[in-house]
Amino acid sequence: MNAMMPPLVAYQILAGILFTIGVVGVLVRRSALIIFMSIELMLNAVNLSFVAFSRQHGSMDGHIFVFFVMAVAAAEVAIGLAILVAIFRKKETANVDDVHLLKG
Amino acid sequence: MLETVLFSFFALTSVVCALGVVFHRNPVHCALLLVGVLLSLSGLFILLNAQFIAALQVIVYAGAIMVLFLFVLMLLNFRQDPDVLTPGAAKGFGFLFGLLVMVELLWTALSPNGGEGGGLPAAPPLPADFGSPAAIGKILYTTWLFPFEITSILLLVAVVGAVVLAKRKFA
Amino acid sequence: MDLALIIEATVKVLVVLGFTCVSVILIVWMERKVLGHMQDRIGPERVGPFGILQTVADGIKLFMKEDLVPSQADKVLYFLAPALSIITALVAMTVIPWGDSFEFFGRTIMLHITDVNVAVLFLLGTTSMGVYGIVLGGWSSNSKYPLLGGLRSSAQMISYELAQGISIVPIIMMTGSLSLAEIGRAQANMWFIVPQFFAFLIYIICAVAETNRAPFDLAEAESELVAGFHTEFSSMKFALYFLSEYANMMVVSGVAITCFLGAWHGPVLPGPVWFLIKLGFFLFCYIWLRATFPRLRYDQLMSLGWKVLLPASLLNMAVTAVVLVLKG
Repeated sequence: MNAMMPPLVAYQILAGILFTIGVVGVLVRRSALIIFMSIELMLNAVNLSFVAFSRQHGSMDGHIFVFFVMAVAAAEVAIGLAILVAIFRKKETANVDDVHLLKG
Repeated sequence: MLETVLFSFFALTSVVCALGVVFHRNPVHCALLLVGVLLSLSGLFILLNAQFIAALQVIVYAGAIMVLFLFVLMLLNFRQDPDVLTPGAAKGFGFLFGLLVMVELLWTALSPNGGEGGGLPAAPPLPADFGSPAAIGKILYTTWLFPFEITSILLLVAVVGAVVLAKRKFA
Repeated sequence: MDLALIIEATVKVLVVLGFTCVSVILIVWMERKVLGHMQDRIGPERVGPFGILQTVADGIKLFMKEDLVPSQADKVLYFLAPALSIITALVAMTVIPWGDSFEFFGRTIMLHITDVNVAVLFLLGTTSMGVYGIVLGGWSSNSKYPLLGGLRSSAQMISYELAQGISIVPIIMMTGSLSLAEIGRAQANMWFIVPQFFAFLIYIICAVAETNRAPFDLAEAESELVAGFHTEFSSMKFALYFLSEYANMMVVSGVAITCFLGAWHGPVLPGPVWFLIKLGFFLFCYIWLRATFPRLRYDQLMSLGWKVLLPASLLNMAVTAVVLVLKG
């Protein structure tokens, strides 16, 4: 069973690629919602990495970590979207470049 | 053999959907492509014997968090971005930084010592209930009890915060 | 992956698919007849004996209708949304145990398509994904009433999913397993409705709300929002939404029977026959509810889900846990 599995490295490389795509998304897109989605993508890449390591070491601590990451991600999405809705009500735009009132 | 086929399928789907999330125009399509990423990751979790986490991924992430995203998208009517990507030099720096991050992660993943690359022993034989809800319940409520309670308080704070932030201020 | 397994799985899938299609035809006929008689009229009676082929006639009519696509609609999502609804409904049917296992040419054949050991979580996952069919249907129509109907309906579904899941937890605690086949087998002596009557009531109310049936059908009621999220869908796409609603009804009834009403256990007749009898009774009760109760207003609906059912199911779970610990 173990010999037929894809090696751990494959999962880590996939997690790395997904994380990079998320980083590029945060840096390159301007819509706040898409930036949020890229952050979720990064969190999921990390989850994959945790679960793969957990399988490799035979310990379930990785799963517990993923459980907490999911809970915290849910809380973060709720608050982040509430903030976004509040900003959108005021300024009618979701473009992060337009929210520059604190600029010096 | 079957595992390799399934792994390739899920890995390819997740990368294609992730690229779609980052580079697609229509935000609703981006949200649905992110759901695609989450579902393929759920498949990968099942391949890694993490049944409970795979089910949680579908129920919580794909089934609740992304529905919340879609609600906000639809209620605020975010139809389309006029400019998809950041204009000018910032775009180049963004891609360059992304490339650097990828090179660094691949270096760590593939390095023979220090990283968990090639020099690992075979994975130990797993206990029969690895990844099952019973096993997660056992350690969640004993070893990890304190983070569990703190997370519940965190979720309560998030609920209260979301309600306060989204209320209309009555002048 | 031996050939016998593939043949067995294929046969089971075909049987369940065929059964679903035939029973949806029968359910629609039964609904119209039963509603008719409860409202002191006859219902369909011309097409076939007792009007039993009326649904087939309706199906042919829907098939021949023009398939309109609104010009500004999001074409990809417009095609995807009904497909998502029916896919999640049918996938959820794979874990429902229709009976106990039997021997056939030396193989033990279980009467469910797959035995997932986290079957209850699998079902919760597929009902969560079912929300997408509705919310995308409302959005892709690019029209006010479908959008509002879709958003209301999906908010209703995710609110009642919580109480639905939590009301099943005492059953899981009593059985010690998440597999539906295990839960069915554990009821050989006593149906779980006896110790868990409140969980049963909560589950039934949540199930009716999950499937968007009366009295919780505000989102698709003709007098409220034109037809809600499926206003702009015609021909086969409407038929798919219709089909998925009745398939969902069968799924939640199947889960209720497996968890509370003793699955396939019964005195004389074989297991699957008892399951079908109980399923028929459940669907009759669904139709009875529709004929009897007025529709709930949306804020009444949401406050029922969050302020009444969720605390009640949590209290039930806590009491069950305390009793189980005290019993040792």
